[in-house]
Amino acid sequence: MIWIGDVLVSRGEGGVYNERMLGGARVWDPYRSKLAALYYTGTGREITQEMRVLYLGAANGTTVSHVADYAEVVYAVEFAPRPMQDLLEVARRRTNVVPVMADAARPEQYAPLVEAVDLLYQDVAQPEQAAIALRNCAFLKTGGDLILMLKTRSVDVRKEPGEVFRDTAATLEAGGLEITESVWLAPYHQDHAAIVCRKIRAGGSP
Amino acid sequence: MPSYWFGDVEDGSCTPFTGDPLAIAGRVRSIQTEMDTFVPPDWEAAVACGACKDRNDYISRLREVCFAAAEQGIRDQYAGKDAELLQMVRTLDGMDEAINLLSGRVAEWHQVRHPAFSRKYRRIPAQVLVKGISRTGRGALGRVAAQVEELAAARTELAKEVSSRANGVMPNTSALIGGLVAARLMSRAGGLLSLSRLPASAIQVLGARTALFAHLRTRSPSPKHGIIFQHRRVHNAPRHLRGRVARVLSGKLAIAARIDHFRGVVAPEFLESAQASIDAAGKGAGATSSVEGEP
Repeated sequence: MIWIGDVLVSRGEGGVYNERMLGGARVWDPYRSKLAALYYTGTGREITQEMRVLYLGAANGTTVSHVADYAEVVYAVEFAPRPMQDLLEVARRRTNVVPVMADAARPEQYAPLVEAVDLLYQDVAQPEQAAIALRNCAFLKTGGDLILMLKTRSVDVRKEPGEVFRDTAATLEAGGLEITESVWLAPYHQDHAAIVCRKIRAGGSP
Repeated sequence: MPSYWFGDVEDGSCTPFTGDPLAIAGRVRSIQTEMDTFVPPDWEAAVACGACKDRNDYISRLREVCFAAAEQGIRDQYAGKDAELLQMVRTLDGMDEAINLLSGRVAEWHQVRHPAFSRKYRRIPAQVLVKGISRTGRGALGRVAAQVEELAAARTELAKEVSSRANGVMPNTSALIGGLVAARLMSRAGGLLSLSRLPASAIQVLGARTALFAHLRTRSPSPKHGIIFQHRRVHNAPRHLRGRVARVLSGKLAIAARIDHFRGVVAPEFLESAQASIDAAGKGAGATSSVEGEP
């Protein structure tokens, strides 16, 4: 990850969402992007030049554009038509972004398109976030990492965020993943946790 | 035998897909993948297959296919004619709000300029007042009033368009409750599909959220009607029958919305029986008033 002083940046064509520029690099705002918040509050996972990334819940392509600055190729999956229009605009200008219009909960819809990836990043507002992650582990290489942005309020608003977090972590471990890091994203995002896991067993979804 | 976007791979041999990106995207959609035995596609296999030259070519071809699929997907999502109707209704409601706010403001302003002016005992509709101000008001006041007038004209035109489009998109619901109210129901539900999935009881109180939650939390009475109150069959019904009319009407609306979504054409025999039962509800037991038939 590239830091200028204590500011996280990425190197690429700017002007995607009126982001600030610093020394010719694009400032990656932790208040707008949960992945950036993870790099500020925890360690996360280094994204390198040769990495292939599957990004679930790409939304308007804001974070996608930063990930694309670091990685070799990003498969960006988004379901809703409105944000997809914005995502396509981002992908038109970044030749290493592959936009996929499909439901992240149904990987069989885009299985013929997505190759094996080194990093699986998931940021979806769904109740079944752990199950979706496990289903998509079929695309993850053994030894590859999953970064799950857990929106506890999307899982169950009535439950305590801590309880949702424990349940999700247990589901992920039962699915054959090894949790290497978990942090809350406060003060940048409320009731959001980041869980970083490693795929230790070969094979698809358990 | 796994199939990928670039072709069918069959132990060792491979048949590449040909055609333009849109055709390939269509073929990708038809591929059935078994996730239990799934092996992700490999760009080197695609090169061996003859589908592309190298890594860069693989990504750029894949991107073409994905762009074609996504653009088609967006078009399909918006093609359901309800997408534009939704925007039209929300614009209409936004305009209503703006017109009310501004004409009230203009009237207040006018009153300050003319200390002798009062709306008491004169019953001037806001529209007429604004028209007068736009003719006589000097400077910015007159111009703002003229703009409000113009906005009101655009609003009327939009309302007509909403109504006629609703007749096309949701013919049965519109026949029961009128195009404008039908479109409002659809907008509140979030689309025709969502409306068709709502139970009748939810349609009945759609737009009465505050009252509904007040009822659920406290002991206040349940709301009898939400948006459907705007239809004259409900608001013209005598007070003690309104709840009944609203309940019967929303029951028929739920059916109508489903016919509109799944069939999309007018169902005359359903409409006839629905109109009859709504009329019967409006007449009530020993009620004096009668409700006319066609809206």
